[in-house]
Amino acid sequence: MFGQQNLSTRRILLAWLLVTPVVLWRLLTSVYPFLRTFYISFFDNSPVRRTFDFVGLDNYIALTRDSNVDATLTFTLFFTVTSVVLQVVFGLAIAELLNQRFRMRNLTRAVNLLPWAMAPIVIATAARWIFHQDYGLINDIIWRLSGERPLWLVNFTTARFAVTITDVWKNTAFLSVIFLSGLQGIPLELYEAAKIDGADGVRSYWYVTLPLLMPLIISMIIFTAIFRVLSFEIVYALTNGGPGTATSLLSYLVYLEGFRVLNFGYASAIAMLLFFIVLLVGVLGYGFLRRAWERL
Amino acid sequence: MNTQLNFKRGIRTTLFILVVILFLTVVLLPIYYIFLTAFAPSGKLFTVPLTYVPRSLAVARFQDIFGALPIARYMLNSTMLATLSTVLALTVSLLAAYAIARLDFPGANLVMIGLLASSMLPGTATVIPLFQMFQTLNLMDTLHGLLILYGSALLPITTWVLVSFLRQVPVEIEDAAKVDGASFFPLLWRIVLPVIRPGIATMFLINFIIGWNEFFTPLIFARGAGVKVITMALSEAQVIGARSEFDVSWGNMSAVAILTTIPVFIITLIFQRQIVEGITSGVFK
Repeated sequence: MFGQQNLSTRRILLAWLLVTPVVLWRLLTSVYPFLRTFYISFFDNSPVRRTFDFVGLDNYIALTRDSNVDATLTFTLFFTVTSVVLQVVFGLAIAELLNQRFRMRNLTRAVNLLPWAMAPIVIATAARWIFHQDYGLINDIIWRLSGERPLWLVNFTTARFAVTITDVWKNTAFLSVIFLSGLQGIPLELYEAAKIDGADGVRSYWYVTLPLLMPLIISMIIFTAIFRVLSFEIVYALTNGGPGTATSLLSYLVYLEGFRVLNFGYASAIAMLLFFIVLLVGVLGYGFLRRAWERL
Repeated sequence: MNTQLNFKRGIRTTLFILVVILFLTVVLLPIYYIFLTAFAPSGKLFTVPLTYVPRSLAVARFQDIFGALPIARYMLNSTMLATLSTVLALTVSLLAAYAIARLDFPGANLVMIGLLASSMLPGTATVIPLFQMFQTLNLMDTLHGLLILYGSALLPITTWVLVSFLRQVPVEIEDAAKVDGASFFPLLWRIVLPVIRPGIATMFLINFIIGWNEFFTPLIFARGAGVKVITMALSEAQVIGARSEFDVSWGNMSAVAILTTIPVFIITLIFQRQIVEGITSGVFK
């Protein structure tokens, strides 16, 4: 017979043996490279000039003086807020729609998932054609309705909206699936109770559904916001960050500095800025989430 | 009175149907437009106003892109990378998930939270050191190098979802097998695997789609034609036979977009339920 002590030591050893591959894989391909990025951000590191010189905070100081970074942060804020708000609103509406009983509901639910399944790069590249001034789908519809053909990707504001619309089209499906699952988890008795109290339709949605979904909505806002800040493909293929730097995002800037200009040190500093923004969104969001849970 | 009620209900139903149709149009029309562009006979591509019902469909563009680019090779690479990374990630994630869900050990929570936190590290915040590592280790332009990165991206969420699936399965069956003296790997293979097969199938589908759709990783780490993937053919197809930088072939791009999209559409339409279950179990449980 084994002693209790012996058995539990064996179990702990086995457990660590089992998690080691996952932990090691992530440490080597994610945690270590991340720490290394932080390290490189204090160096002038260029594979072209073959430099690796310590420069202290120079890269970070350059960051504060770079007008591209300013423009990128402005668009990141616009894009994140607009896209998240639209995705949450449409996501809730679509979830409500898909929660009704109707013929072909299953087919509609499947169709809803199609944009989610498509590659971001396919959607971003195709969107360039769909927003084409003369032959694009969007302008054909607008022209039939108003006789106008807006220059989507040439003007600052419209280019920003083109990126946002494309992003919303692709990613709302994800939120609607989550919200639908949240709706299905609300006990029907609550609605019956609300009905007795005289709340119907819109009012029961406002007083029963929304408060119960609120923690879920907030956690999805955090999640969605973080992934908007991290977006790359959509501006890489749809606008190249343009016109000028009107639709530049931080990941795209890291790509340009790192792999076009080949300025690894400076690109690493931008990557760290990106990380701190993600961290900030996460920490702020977590605070809101805890307050929402306490209220429930 | 009764007719008025029926009338009201009729209006509501009609409005509801209109909303459903509007929703389906917003989702499907852009996809249909890309399909139209891919199959439009050359010369019929640029028309004002657009013709939404084509008189004829042409496959010439597909012949063009298959002639000019190693499309079959790209698709094979995409398939191999998506499948193998999924299998590898599922295997090691299952081991970790079993330990976390079943073997109550100090550090289990730390591993879970560490995985989640590491998945929030932006890919762009790790890409430069990885690029340097891959050059030193001669992993650039290799399928196994790409496999390391593809697999890595799948680990956190796969482990989380498998843990949640395992926690829903009663432990009693495993305990009974343990009493019978089954050692660990036979236990995992014969007892645990069959009961969480739905979870594994779900994560297989989702991970395959993620791997198939990957673009940023191959953009940086796969530069040779032998290891390129189908998502990289979009921009390459645009410049087939181009006379200038601004001479973009939207038809060719659309043809590649269709080829890239068909496999994931087939998977999504057939396995809608499983995919939704996978997405939601990552969030709720």
